[in-house]
Amino acid sequence: MLVELLRGLKTTFKMMIAKPVTIQYPEVKRPVRPRYKGRHELKRYDNGLEKCIGCALCAAACPADAIFVEASENTDEERYSPGDRYASTYEINFLRCIYCGYCEDACPTEAIVLEHEYDVNFTSRFEAIFPKEKLIVPVPSNGKTTPQKTEPGTFDRSIPEMKDPMDY
Amino acid sequence: MTKEVTLTIDGKEVSVPAGSLVVDAAKKAGIDIPVFCYHPKMEPVGMCRQCLVEIGRPAFDRATGEAVLEEDGSPKINWGWKLETSCTNPVSEGMVVKTTSEKAVKGQNDMLEFQLSSHPLDCPVCDKGGECLLQDLTLAHGSAESRFNFNEKRHSEKHFPLGDLIWLDRERCIQCGRCVRFQDEVVGEAVLGFEERGSKTQIMTTSDPGFDSVFAGNTTDICPVGALTTAQFRFGARPWEMEATASVCGECPVGCNTVLNTRRDAKSGGKIIVKRVMPRQNEAVNETWICDKGRFADFSAEGRLLAPKPEEWTEAVAKAAEKLSAAKGDAVFLVDGSLSNEELFNMKSLADEVGGKALCYSEVGGGALTTKSGSYSKSGAGDAILVIGGDLYAEAPIFWLRAKQAADRGAKLIVATEAETRLDAFATTVVRDVRKGLEIAEEVFANAENTVVLYSGDDALAQFCAALNPTSLIGVWAEANTQGAWEMGYEAISDLSALKGKTVYVAGKDALVASAVEAADFVVAQTVSMTEASEKAGVTLASQIAAEAEGTFTSAERRVQRFFSAVQPIGDALPGYVITAQVAEKMGVTLDIDAEDVFSAFSDLNYADLAKVSAEESLLIGGTCYENKQGLGVTLPAKA
Amino acid sequence: MDYMLLRHRDIPKLNQIDVFMKEDGFEGLKKALKMDTADVTNEVKAAGLRGRGGAGFPAGVKWSFMDNNNWPHYVVANADESEPGTFKDREIMESNPFQFLEGIAIASYAVGANAAYIYLRGEFWEVAHFLDEKIEEMEKAGFLGENIQGTDCSLKIYTHLGAGAYICGEETALLESMEGKRGQPRVRPPFPPSQGLYNKPTVVNNVETLTSVPYIINNGAYGYRKFGTEKSPGTKIFSLSGNVNKPGNYELPLGTTFRELIFTHGGGIPDGKSIKAIMPAGASSSMVVANDEALDTPLTYEDVPNVGGDLGSASVIVVDDSVSLDWLIRKTMDFFHHESCGKCTPCREGSYWMKKLTERIHSGEGTEEDVALLKDVATQMQGTTLCALGEFSTMAVVSSIERFPEDFA
Repeated sequence: MLVELLRGLKTTFKMMIAKPVTIQYPEVKRPVRPRYKGRHELKRYDNGLEKCIGCALCAAACPADAIFVEASENTDEERYSPGDRYASTYEINFLRCIYCGYCEDACPTEAIVLEHEYDVNFTSRFEAIFPKEKLIVPVPSNGKTTPQKTEPGTFDRSIPEMKDPMDY
Repeated sequence: MTKEVTLTIDGKEVSVPAGSLVVDAAKKAGIDIPVFCYHPKMEPVGMCRQCLVEIGRPAFDRATGEAVLEEDGSPKINWGWKLETSCTNPVSEGMVVKTTSEKAVKGQNDMLEFQLSSHPLDCPVCDKGGECLLQDLTLAHGSAESRFNFNEKRHSEKHFPLGDLIWLDRERCIQCGRCVRFQDEVVGEAVLGFEERGSKTQIMTTSDPGFDSVFAGNTTDICPVGALTTAQFRFGARPWEMEATASVCGECPVGCNTVLNTRRDAKSGGKIIVKRVMPRQNEAVNETWICDKGRFADFSAEGRLLAPKPEEWTEAVAKAAEKLSAAKGDAVFLVDGSLSNEELFNMKSLADEVGGKALCYSEVGGGALTTKSGSYSKSGAGDAILVIGGDLYAEAPIFWLRAKQAADRGAKLIVATEAETRLDAFATTVVRDVRKGLEIAEEVFANAENTVVLYSGDDALAQFCAALNPTSLIGVWAEANTQGAWEMGYEAISDLSALKGKTVYVAGKDALVASAVEAADFVVAQTVSMTEASEKAGVTLASQIAAEAEGTFTSAERRVQRFFSAVQPIGDALPGYVITAQVAEKMGVTLDIDAEDVFSAFSDLNYADLAKVSAEESLLIGGTCYENKQGLGVTLPAKA
Repeated sequence: MDYMLLRHRDIPKLNQIDVFMKEDGFEGLKKALKMDTADVTNEVKAAGLRGRGGAGFPAGVKWSFMDNNNWPHYVVANADESEPGTFKDREIMESNPFQFLEGIAIASYAVGANAAYIYLRGEFWEVAHFLDEKIEEMEKAGFLGENIQGTDCSLKIYTHLGAGAYICGEETALLESMEGKRGQPRVRPPFPPSQGLYNKPTVVNNVETLTSVPYIINNGAYGYRKFGTEKSPGTKIFSLSGNVNKPGNYELPLGTTFRELIFTHGGGIPDGKSIKAIMPAGASSSMVVANDEALDTPLTYEDVPNVGGDLGSASVIVVDDSVSLDWLIRKTMDFFHHESCGKCTPCREGSYWMKKLTERIHSGEGTEEDVALLKDVATQMQGTTLCALGEFSTMAVVSSIERFPEDFA
């Protein structure tokens, strides 16, 4: 009878000494997979210029109508992106966003990317709308912040020459 | 009765008037042949080769003239050995056309491939994206991958300013020639042209200052790609992001039908603003064109009056009513033609009830005489037009365009102005003396069917013009709705010094308010802008602009057209007819406050009559939508 | 043989009026003025004179298409000789101008024109000045101007210079250029005999065609038909060039074989090389494989197509085996891209595309797919262009790739 008792409690005892799978969030955070779709980030080039050209294709692709884009013209005195056009207003409403990633697929310059931040929080509906300042990545080490003052004639093409995404 | 010709397109039989082009006949049969350079309002040139189809004609025996028949009795069809352009081929009896056969489709796809070979990959930054004919046709006829080597694409100048208003992107241009032909054929001012040849062909302007034409903006509508774009709307918004509201242009008395595209704007604090003005098709008024004055009209909120003075509406209305009641029969109700019919009617009603004078300011006289005008958009051979007194090009460009087109169609055009005008080149007779012009007109009108006089001058001139007894007497007023004021019985006034010592309720443009404030004793100013004058006025009532309110305008041709509210009102501004009704209430007079009711009160028509549309006039022409679903308006019948 | 067109080779100084008067004396014109205008046209029709500019359209038939309800009529001589490999008209205008002018006069009489124009390419300004002198001399001699030879027929001939565009050799582009507009072809129909210069009926004929007319009037259609074949009567000036020992203009009866032209008259291929290909119509032709069958083909409008070419303007370019055809078509594509007027999409974009492809193939960076793509693009252009320039620019490309694939490997 003792044998049956012990056999029945085998799993219980095994669990008593086994390591718990609980992760002590927020002190310890489980790393996410590389293609995890978290909060968006607007990327920059290495020289500091923004990749976003304000084309609003992400807004058009978004099934939840979460993105609002307004474009403006770059001048050489005040240049935000290489090319003619940049996004002067860029807002994502995270109460509408469903993190589907269609905006990332639609972007022709790989500017909007869904990164790994998942703990997006806000306390009012107004705060849920993240403007461009909250979405853009910081300036890389060897670049200058935008707006930049550039030499006339360096950025003549309307769209910057792009590396083929298949080149990864 | 024009002869009708029957032909078969893709198995469908369709009958069209003789002389029609195959591409138009196909459209009537419901088949859309892809085109680039073809435009229904211009002569076909067959340049882009996109509309290639297979055309077969019935065979005839040369000797006998009899039709050759097949064994089963059907006519033998001789097919052309190569594809032909449907835009340059007129229809012929018994013709058979194949637009979707393998050969035709291959031809159309090939032509598109050629167009795309050096076209830059600008879609994300190009303003035309979303309403671009090249994009639409590529979806229908293009291949998924390009066979052209990207590095070998031709490069040209990207932002070339053609004048102040239009940007040209030479790389995107597909050399269809629509802009050059529009300026040449439709407007008659050939300020655009091609230079260089072969693949280096590009558009340039031959005038100095560049692109010197008041119809320049129309080329951005007809350009099938984003080569011609307006500087005002550059990067404004995407076409699918904007709402479209039907409106009527308020810049001049032609009354062009427009569409106001609006969108919420972050720069103006989240308000919905007018982003651009596009034309709406109305064959009797403006066809599919609008002039630059209307297209680039200012809708900004700068300098707008946000609140009445005194600040509370109840106070302001009470004070106004008090002062006007005190003046009794001596009160003057002064307007100009910038108000809508509804606003004008409420003012007039109030004036009538209290016994005051209802005056409309206009420098152009003869308002009472313009009682039987009508549209001259179909004038041609056998008709006559007299343009006397003013420069139609500066005052009412679309009237100028219609007069020029009438002259092209054979109408006798007499220009009698003191100074040179741009109409001189198209006129049959030009005199630099007004009196002489009237004499010549009398002679010419005697032999003409439909006669039109467009005058810009004082009462005396109007009298002389009326004496010619034309079919239409059109006064080229300074404002959009001056005709509406005459219809309601306003008295004309051109010298405002007569306001001395009076209490005036003025509603209209800044200049009018300023003159009233200078001359009169006490002024109640119903206006839209904050100016020195509005500060000095006794009471200022903040009014809405046409884009914010509902209403109707009566054009100089006596056509009543309705416009709709496109944007929210600014600040505390109220519609003009509501303000007048509130003032009237305090004075013991009851007036309607709903635009539709006001309209029905003074007119035999109602809004539903104005909303009638014609199926033939809702066309998608060459990539741009000119659809008019909101109404064509109605021309008032001649007054007895 | 007795020259019909290049008579100055027999008679020196024929371009001087006194010499011409002695030799010929404008007999053809005098005879024509006594005939009925319809009879003149019918004589030319019966003679079967075919247009020498390249299309080979019967001249008499073209004259009979003139719209008699629309006046005035014009005659335009197409002296815009820009086809690579063609240099026959220049010799006629410089050395036998009076026969040419006489031909214009007879044509003008036949169609009722009182004004005729000679459109010369811009680079021929010296020739134009020379012709102006000759026209004045002819006027003084009483064969131009008011009341020619006592009849109530008047004719003034004017020279007009182009500005360096091959496309202005196309008849409607030529008329546009003369009217002062951009030299781009018009949509046809309507054709020039119904709506031509300033929308009036116009006959546009090549210099050589018009120079043949006096002989026809003088010797009759029967006399003209003594030379040549039934479908291609008369003589033709062949402009021989390329890899031959004696390039130049050779006037021979139509029906002469390639072999006779190239080897007997042209002296054969230099440096002992062997013949590889022939371009019978200048740069606008297909590449004809120079095998025995081809060499023995008579040079006529009806026989040359049997070996996959076109007689065209008979500017025979000979290619020997030292020439690699990818180099040759790179040259022709460069020419056509430069000369394309840019009005229609396939020629404008297609010629640019083909130029880039041929450059790549010739420089060695091209691949097999590029060659197939080049052929595809050229085939795509055929049958879709507004005028013949686009059409013929592709002939050399397609035929070279098909018949000489080893040059494109």
